[in-house]
Amino acid sequence: MSDILDKYKWMGPIIQKMDRDIKRIFMKNFRMRDKNFFPEGDYKADVKNLVNCMLCPNMCRFDCGTLQAANSETMSPAYKARIGYYLTIGKIDPLDPSNKEFIDLMYKCSNEESCKVWCPFEFSVVSLLETVRDDLNDKGVMPDYCKEQIKKLKKTNTIEDHNIYETYKEKGIENIETDGKDDVYYYIGCESMKFPEVVKANIEILKKAGVKFSTNLEKKVCCGGPAFNIRDLKIAKELANKNKELIENTGAKVVVSDCPGCIETLSTRYQKAGIEIDVKFIHIVQYIKDLIDNGKINFEREIPSEYKKVAIHDPCLLARNLNDTESIRAILNKVPGIEIIEPIYNKQYTHCCGWSGTVHWAEKNIAIKEATNRINELKETGASVFISACPECELGLAYGISENDKEKIKIIDVSELLMKVI
Amino acid sequence: MNLENFELIYKENRVKIKDKAKIKSKLGEIVGNENVSDKEIDILAYNKDTTLITLNWTLEGKIAALPDFIVWPETPEQISSILRLANEEKIPVIPFSEGSGVVGGAIPIYGGIILDMKKFNKILEINDKDLTVTCEAGINGMNLERYLNAKGYTGGHIPQSLYTSSVGGWIAHRAAGQFSSKYGKIEDIVMGMELVLPQGDIIKFKTIARASTGPQLDKLFIGNEGTLGIVTKATLKIWPYPEKRALISYAFPTFEDSLEATRQILRQQIYPAVIRIYDADETNRHFGHIEKAKDKVMVVFVCEGIERLVDLEETITRETCEKNNGIYCGEAPVEHWFETRFKVTETSSTPTFKIVADTIEIGFLWDKAADMYHSVIEATKKIQGVMMMTAHVSHFYPNGVGFYFTFAGIPPKEKTDFEFYQEVWNCVVKTVLDMGGTISHHHGIGLNRAQWMPVEWGKSFDTLKSIKKLLDPNNILNPGKVYESAWKEGGRN
Ligand SMILES: Cc1cc2nc3c(=O)[nH]c(=O)nc-3n(C[C@H](O)[C@H](O)[C@H](O)COP(=O)(O)OP(=O)(O)OC[C@H]3O[C@@H](n4cnc5c(N)ncnc54)[C@H](O)[C@@H]3O)c2cc1C
Ligand code: SF4
Ligand code: SF4
Repeated sequence: MSDILDKYKWMGPIIQKMDRDIKRIFMKNFRMRDKNFFPEGDYKADVKNLVNCMLCPNMCRFDCGTLQAANSETMSPAYKARIGYYLTIGKIDPLDPSNKEFIDLMYKCSNEESCKVWCPFEFSVVSLLETVRDDLNDKGVMPDYCKEQIKKLKKTNTIEDHNIYETYKEKGIENIETDGKDDVYYYIGCESMKFPEVVKANIEILKKAGVKFSTNLEKKVCCGGPAFNIRDLKIAKELANKNKELIENTGAKVVVSDCPGCIETLSTRYQKAGIEIDVKFIHIVQYIKDLIDNGKINFEREIPSEYKKVAIHDPCLLARNLNDTESIRAILNKVPGIEIIEPIYNKQYTHCCGWSGTVHWAEKNIAIKEATNRINELKETGASVFISACPECELGLAYGISENDKEKIKIIDVSELLMKVI
Repeated sequence: MNLENFELIYKENRVKIKDKAKIKSKLGEIVGNENVSDKEIDILAYNKDTTLITLNWTLEGKIAALPDFIVWPETPEQISSILRLANEEKIPVIPFSEGSGVVGGAIPIYGGIILDMKKFNKILEINDKDLTVTCEAGINGMNLERYLNAKGYTGGHIPQSLYTSSVGGWIAHRAAGQFSSKYGKIEDIVMGMELVLPQGDIIKFKTIARASTGPQLDKLFIGNEGTLGIVTKATLKIWPYPEKRALISYAFPTFEDSLEATRQILRQQIYPAVIRIYDADETNRHFGHIEKAKDKVMVVFVCEGIERLVDLEETITRETCEKNNGIYCGEAPVEHWFETRFKVTETSSTPTFKIVADTIEIGFLWDKAADMYHSVIEATKKIQGVMMMTAHVSHFYPNGVGFYFTFAGIPPKEKTDFEFYQEVWNCVVKTVLDMGGTISHHHGIGLNRAQWMPVEWGKSFDTLKSIKKLLDPNNILNPGKVYESAWKEGGRN
């Protein structure tokens, strides 16, 4: 109540001047505000902010990845919030099977949080939708495509049908078991296992720089990011605890990962779930940048001509959640002879690959369209090598490349580029 | 069916579509099945625009209106075929872009087909020598402006709804941006257009700096509010991105002083891109933290362009303000304006207190501008329930100004929200019309202002209606707007 009073301080004189009858009605509306529109109930949804969002003129719509992909009001941020509100207060019944599409809408976010950049309330829509998902889960109406992921997480500890970490041998990835005295733990993301060249490059770079580190692929499990998105906090916490043990066993004080999503989950999301791990979590680009700055990595080779002109695709989680847009640039700027071309939407204003949230399960075509939109923005730079630092981006963006462009366009990780010059 | 849980405001006089499946399949043949929907989740999303009272409805679980279909065409030819089908079947077609209109223009009051223009979102060409950009009409304003900025230009059309409106919507409503004293309003900016007429003909107005080739028909379509044609493509003026910006602000002891200073500035042919006068109430609301401005009238200016010109404009602007009792307040208030100008939060809070609010922007010549302001404020403050009636002056010409009133109030017990809303509007409009002003400066007519068109236009309104009849004999394109008065709240008007 006190924050509301503060915000509307300028209304003081106005209220004083009101005639008596109107003042009475106004005060009643003020008192009854919660009861009228934020009724108490057995829900976790953040109804106040859902209302703030649903009554906003969609001021972030121009930058919302799913809306720009779908080109439909249905996908607009304020409408998502509106449906979230109606599902919460029961105006739309989540238990009625004919309302499945309204429930699905609660998962049609790509989590890039571009909305938050522009939002006058400084929230992201997905952060509100997650609170609606909590209630949907409590009511037992989690969509099947989410249940599917949870099933996989339970069965394989990853979001694949098999434990993807077990494939390391066939992919030629070296496993380095910890002796409990590591300086660094290289935390390989599940999705990164689909890009063995990236993992191998990172291992090679860390070795070249003489870092004492481990990978522990035999015991490795998913960070739980997908479970946090789906809001199955039980399985998310189980995975978090496994990770805590794994990390603590290495003795490392620094955990680096090739996946910004893993870093975000291991640090911020674990903390919110009450799981504290007393180490520093950083994306590997930041660590590599420091290694270069400290003279631990030297550039020894000419950059091959086909990699001379590159465009940077900032992964949204790295740029906006981990607030690091400089490391990639600092590394690339040191590469002799390279020309970096920035896309129009870059750094904190980067656009999503489509693969970061839950929309790629809920409506894959929208995620693919987001990827296509992003590829088109990157193509506009005139470069045909796109540098990223996130396995999800590399996975997602690949869906956006047309058959014609498949030969021409290369999407590679910073580490892969580095391997060509060090 | 969920939507039965919601009270539908416009439920009478809906078009009766005998065979919906047939129409859906025909629409599918035109645009592809993936580009047609009659799903509840989609039709609910298109029930309204951003007319403020509809936000109260949304919170209370009311639906303004429901379309029968949404279509997402991608080419003018598809639009043409949709309109031909709609004429055959006598089904209304309502163009919809970003839905930020505040006069109900895109509300499908009789049902029918919402034609969403969002897929017309490509930027086709920038011509540096001609200083033009050609784009499809559904493109979002901010996405166009960001693109132009990245290439070293500005479009100069920066409405407060930049983030949430489209080029087609601007043209439809004869919109005006915040930087308009320098760059002009949308009618000064549009140089060429492609449109689809109500019966399906595709017409083009070529891009030219000026022509003397008979009446300039293109102007008829700027402000047509989606009733005479659907804009599919436009060529707009652009400008090199300003080299310098000067931020200037003054607090004036009276509203009259502030008007006089700005009038004199324009009379000297000095055109700051932004000029905004805030009356004392709005000054306290927006600039409460600026001590020198307390209870005064704040005026902010932005001069921009090449450095030498900006310096001169700044000098003359400052001299003129000082001559008219202005107290210099520095750059901070203008910086504050820049920081907050797109942070719209009031629309989210007022409905939760059951406050009925709206904005009314009107136009006046200089001669009566100050009188008009005082008359509107005095007249509306007498209405029981009006808590707040304030104004800023947002648009300036050597000959006149555009005022932007904001009101908020609580209806007394015996009145519905709608009756109260209507009473305030009637009072403002009557005052403005009696004193010779215009009832809309840039938001347009749409649904809620159509009731006053016969008075606003006088006899020439018949001519306008004849043109509508000629171009749209079946009244297919956006019926219930501009030419006829259909504004109401569910049977209670
Ligand atoms: C917060 C806020 C601030 C605003 N600030 C300003 C401002 O500073 N200046 C200003 O002028 N307005 C302002 N507006 C009003 C609004 O943004 C404008 O009227 C805008 O031009 C509407 O564009 P839109 O794309 O959202 O159109 P919509 O709301 O989708 O449609 C508006 C009307 O145009 C028709 N239409 C839409 N697209 C086309 C097309 N391609 N061809 C033909 N007809 C079409 C529709 O049928 C409807 O009648 C503001 C609104 C809000 C909510
Ligand atoms: S996220 Fe913020 S800016 Fe976007 S629609 Fe919601 S309230 Fe508006
Ligand atoms: S998180 Fe992304 S997809 Fe979701 S509303 Fe925000 S910008 Fe749109």
